[in-house]
Amino acid sequence: MNRAITLFRGVYGVWLREITRATRDRSQMIGGISRPLIWLLVLGVGLNPYFRGEVFGEVKYVIPFTYLQFLFPAVIVLNIMYTSIQFAVSVIWDREFGFLREVLVSPMPRSLILLGKVLGGSTVAMIHGGLVLILARFADVTLGIDQMAMALGLMFALSFGLTCFGVVLASRVRSFEGFGVFSNTVILPLYFTSSSIFPLDPTLSRTQTATAYPEWLVFMVQINPITYAVDALRGTIIGFNQFPPYYGPAVIFAMAAVFFVWALIGFRRQ
Amino acid sequence: MTPPRRHRWRRAALNFLVVVALLVAASFLPPDTSLRDRRQAGVIKACVPPSYPPLVTGDPARPGFDIELLEAIASEIGLRLSVNTLTSIGSDFNPRNWMLTRAQCDIIAGGVADTEQTRGFLQTIPTPAQTGWMAVSRTGELPERGGTVAVLPGTAGLDRVKLSTWVRANGWTARGTPSPGQFQAALDDPNLGAGIAERFVIDSLHLENENFKRFWLPEQDFPRYRMALGLWKGDQTLKRAVADALDRVSKSGVLASIEKRYDLAAPPEQ
Repeated sequence: MNRAITLFRGVYGVWLREITRATRDRSQMIGGISRPLIWLLVLGVGLNPYFRGEVFGEVKYVIPFTYLQFLFPAVIVLNIMYTSIQFAVSVIWDREFGFLREVLVSPMPRSLILLGKVLGGSTVAMIHGGLVLILARFADVTLGIDQMAMALGLMFALSFGLTCFGVVLASRVRSFEGFGVFSNTVILPLYFTSSSIFPLDPTLSRTQTATAYPEWLVFMVQINPITYAVDALRGTIIGFNQFPPYYGPAVIFAMAAVFFVWALIGFRRQ
Repeated sequence: MTPPRRHRWRRAALNFLVVVALLVAASFLPPDTSLRDRRQAGVIKACVPPSYPPLVTGDPARPGFDIELLEAIASEIGLRLSVNTLTSIGSDFNPRNWMLTRAQCDIIAGGVADTEQTRGFLQTIPTPAQTGWMAVSRTGELPERGGTVAVLPGTAGLDRVKLSTWVRANGWTARGTPSPGQFQAALDDPNLGAGIAERFVIDSLHLENENFKRFWLPEQDFPRYRMALGLWKGDQTLKRAVADALDRVSKSGVLASIEKRYDLAAPPEQ
């Protein structure tokens, strides 16, 4: 029992360190608000005239929501993706400056050290995703308490999986500069091919979808796990799913489990 | 020994508060110019069909529930209501052929159901009026398999495809009727088992005077919907102003008095 408490305190200590570091880092906070502001206020509002109705019965995309509402859950995912994957920088930092070595020689099992770090990163990423919810009024999205709780649960699970993915990347990248380039080549393609900014019309059959969009693009959207994370949040926040509703949570939880194991394998090699 | 730091979270909390305050402030920015344009013009234009009782009656002394509601809403916003009565509304199966444009109207009313199909084209603000598919027959029941039913698909935005599938699945032959008058005339045919149409269309025909009984189609197959005021997609600020005005009209008791005047109570379930 005492050992369990000691281990728990160890996990808590690692978690708290990540939270403290993130909340005191103004640049991270600025990143956390600049993305929603740019994507919702600038892109959402800027493209709104191209998606609004002009003639009844004729719109550019037939989904029962406005473009801002459609974009809103995707921006949450974008904020989570950036924060989670950028969290890997803290792993590289700890490794470069020797902190990681000090922690790794402690009696705590490596799996729990990793768990503490990942939980810390996930909490920060979830908070950054949660910041976007403040703009719900702007996007005309109304959230009940149950929706909010479910969204936060999904956001945390997604943050956990992506933070683990960040650790996997960190274990393969040796410098800060390399990671910056690497993360952008991972985050942006994943985001843009997740049906985040354009809908795959669910009223169309698969053949028609492929006609509206090139098949290679439809294929990329369908194999991208972030597509299902965005879809899960859309289902929860605005009640719109492009895929069967259980796909999203299933993919998010599978990502969390697979990436944690993968991250653990990489972390043990540190 | 270093004394404990008493305000270790102060900086983090300050950072967080600044971020939240900035996002809250951003959420109050107007996402479009629709309300500003209406205020500059001093007029809000509504498109309605010539008749859709009791929502639009064509009688100046008793113009209809939607018209009176729109007048109350316009007055709350401080605008003058201009009603465009368009015979093209409902003239064709496809709403695109009604040729309703932004230039003609800011709001579409008088027979818009708040369905997913409608929300594909318009943003909706539900009113208290409830609708759905109803049937009418002399026996108060639908015919046996192999019978014929008259169907008026209507223009409210109810799911015609689902109705058509359901009619076929029950083994009935559907006889399409393009107008309420032809629907009523078809019901005189003794070989016809029943008629199916939108609730307010059936109400307006006063078929109970001819010993017909009206009844809802099964709710598990055909949910009830609220009627709505339809605004163009992307006119977010105008929609917000109309929704707030409707809320005030509701709280002041004006909505209840209009509702009572037009007897909008939905027929009971059987």
